[in-house]
Amino acid sequence: MAFVLRTVSHSAGGREIVRTARVEGDRLTIGRDPACDVHLTDLAVALRHAEVTRSGPGRLDLQASPGLTVELDGRKASAGTIDLATGGDIRIASHALRFMPAAADADVDIAVERVTEGERGELARADERRFSLVSVMPGKRPLAWLLAALVLAIFFAWPVWTILDRQEEPAAERFHPDRMWLSGSLSQVHAGLEDNCAACHAEPFVAVRDESCQSCHVRVHDHANQARLARARPGLDGWGRFRLAVQETFGLTPGRCVDCHTEHEGPQEMAPTPQRFCADCHSGMQERLGDTRLGDASDFGRAHPEFQPSVLIRWDGETPVMQRVSLGARPHENSNLRFPHALHLSRDGGAAQMGRRLRGQYGFGDSLVCADCHVPTPDGTRFQPVDMEGDCAMCHSLAFDRVGGTVRTLRHGSPEQVVADLREYFRGHPPARPSVLGGGARRRPGDIMQIRSTMQYTLALAGSGAAAERAIRAVFSPRGACYDCHQVQAPPPGSLAFRIRPVAFPTRYMHNGWFDHRPHQQAECATCHAAERSQSANDLLLPGIETCRTCHGGESSGDVPSTCAMCHDYHEDEGVPAMLLRQRVRGRRWETTLIPVPAQTGGRR
Amino acid sequence: MASRGAQRTRLGSGGSHEGFLRHRGYRWAKAALLLSLAAGVAYAMADVQPRHNGGSWLGYTLGTIGALLILWLTMLGLRKRAMTRGRWSLKGWTSAHVYLGLSLVVVATLHTGFQLGLNVHTLAYALMMLVIVSGLYGIAVYATLPDALSSNSAETTRPQMIDAVVKLDQQLQIAAQPLSSDDAAIVRLSLEEDPFRAGLVRRLAGNHSNCRNARALKLMRATEAGADAARVVDLLESKSVALARIRRHLRIRALLEVWLYVHVPLTFATIAALAAHIVSVFFYW
Repeated sequence: MAFVLRTVSHSAGGREIVRTARVEGDRLTIGRDPACDVHLTDLAVALRHAEVTRSGPGRLDLQASPGLTVELDGRKASAGTIDLATGGDIRIASHALRFMPAAADADVDIAVERVTEGERGELARADERRFSLVSVMPGKRPLAWLLAALVLAIFFAWPVWTILDRQEEPAAERFHPDRMWLSGSLSQVHAGLEDNCAACHAEPFVAVRDESCQSCHVRVHDHANQARLARARPGLDGWGRFRLAVQETFGLTPGRCVDCHTEHEGPQEMAPTPQRFCADCHSGMQERLGDTRLGDASDFGRAHPEFQPSVLIRWDGETPVMQRVSLGARPHENSNLRFPHALHLSRDGGAAQMGRRLRGQYGFGDSLVCADCHVPTPDGTRFQPVDMEGDCAMCHSLAFDRVGGTVRTLRHGSPEQVVADLREYFRGHPPARPSVLGGGARRRPGDIMQIRSTMQYTLALAGSGAAAERAIRAVFSPRGACYDCHQVQAPPPGSLAFRIRPVAFPTRYMHNGWFDHRPHQQAECATCHAAERSQSANDLLLPGIETCRTCHGGESSGDVPSTCAMCHDYHEDEGVPAMLLRQRVRGRRWETTLIPVPAQTGGRR
Repeated sequence: MASRGAQRTRLGSGGSHEGFLRHRGYRWAKAALLLSLAAGVAYAMADVQPRHNGGSWLGYTLGTIGALLILWLTMLGLRKRAMTRGRWSLKGWTSAHVYLGLSLVVVATLHTGFQLGLNVHTLAYALMMLVIVSGLYGIAVYATLPDALSSNSAETTRPQMIDAVVKLDQQLQIAAQPLSSDDAAIVRLSLEEDPFRAGLVRRLAGNHSNCRNARALKLMRATEAGADAARVVDLLESKSVALARIRRHLRIRALLEVWLYVHVPLTFATIAALAAHIVSVFFYW
């Protein structure tokens, strides 16, 4: 009775090597101890791991050392039996012991084989590729495709999908993925459109068109006739032509709103259109647009024509003729009025004395000042036309009679009525009582005192029948009440139909430029208007461009840098330039009149 | 030719080797510098109102140059598989890749007009910058780490390094035969140690605090098992040294290679973001 051990190993070439050993007796010890019958070198095997004893015919008992287990026929066990009739498998660590079926009392054949590499596994097989990160990292290529697909899905497919899908869900408040395409925040005024790209970008792959702007900005009109605009553009050099060609290739037609009004520049105010956009055309335009009446201009400080106010240069019968004349030509204004500013503003002349006398009644100062006669418009921008009754009559009284406490005055603006009133007066007042009018203590130029003295003179000459006629003639003659200020048309011989030439004042001299008196209030009127030296009403007291330039420079010069847009407006012509309005709205400018003159319709001019 | 020969001998330790950075007297460095300068001058001179942005003529020009550069730079991935010599050698190509890639920092940044935000456009820019930064890292490690790699290996090849550990394992196995089960279990701990099992983070950090060999060594020193155990301790100590060499090698290799795992995938992400950037611009033209 013995155990026959057949230890199987493999050569490097894979050949099987079998060594046979014979263990006499009924007991077989298994362990790492070399003294064991079955010596297993695996360190997972205990020195004395298990024992197999023949406990009866055809039956082997297996007993592992305390606390140890073996794998018997695939099951872990600390003890068990093997029926020799069927044989059995014991597995300890990396070794397998196969008990071959045998007769009940025959020798037991046992094949001992190392079935796994055990602890000498992976490292021995390691090759130098394992030094590289490749062995522990996912491939670069799958990573690359994954990332690329992720980016495309989130930043391209998702927005496109929602854009195509949006028609069905117009006012959704959910996140609009095309926000991820926003190249920069919209300006403050357009901030509400940030979730509505299609408001401006109406069609995919089509550049923003003016119609999109005009769907809200309905009153904006063109600057000028498109054909003239096109001709006014500066000739393109090669580089300009190339750029234009490229732009047109990509569907960017020139002249669109967005050429000047750029967007996506951040959440600030919409950037003001730079002066260059004006200067491009307006410098050298006379050459390109031969028939234009506009002078070349590129910068207020450096290149701007002298102002050309609309001046009342003459009369066509009763109709004033206005004409734009450069201030450089020293134009005269023909209002048909006599009014020496110097006389009225003199500090010690008769006008000043008169003012001092009437101080209590009208609040005049030591001498007359501009504001005593000139009344600004309610918005403070300009001045109201001078009005005889309101602005002159304080001194220039037309009183000629007193009935009880009421002073009768000649009717201003109606010479026929003056003639009739005076006739009536003389009819009702016998010439013997001229002193009835003597009650007035005041003496005023053009006053009835003159009329009265004339009357006395005529009475003295005799004939009261012609008194009225003489008085009338005197009123309309030099030193007469009317003649002092007005141009009198003499009547035909034998008639008393005196006529006064009509008077007119322009209310606005510069229609294509904006000037607002209010922001200039801190300056004396005389700073700009040379009224104190003006001896004639024909003097046009508008200051020239040089006067403005003492403060106003060009786009980036002077005490007050002034772009074109400070006085001129590209789209509107009547009211406050849009730039000033915007600055006012934004609280940066308080003085500007905030009453835009509403444009009537699009397409004026 | 004589002067060239003289120049070569002066290279000294490098011998006739000329790295891709110094390829042909910094030819591509000069080209890239020129490109950057041209872009900078154009940026300074061009009158773009109200401020520079990607949508001006200069912006589109710089953007086009940048996009084409990105695509060309990506081609190195294909080109590198064919190692050639001559005018368009792989080395020249690599040199151009490095320097033109760096000039992209200038070109692309000027293209943005310094207007960045949370959008697909800035995403493309940011990804591109990450790719460039990882590339810079790559150049830096290629310039410094190969020396460290060879000094670490100390004339041993990589298979020899592995072999050293395998041999120590075999000796451990033999030396541990007389040990008790508990002590043998400690030795088995060491035998189970596979330094190559360390993942990216551990390789980069060089942190092997959970090394089983180290643990085995510590436990083994604590046992009082006589001469057999002492022999095992010696072997475990030797194994520690051998493992450390492998790990240093692993760390240097990881440092050398890790940037490509950023550079390459992010390049593709950049191209995807670039495509989204360009199409979105034209979509909302």
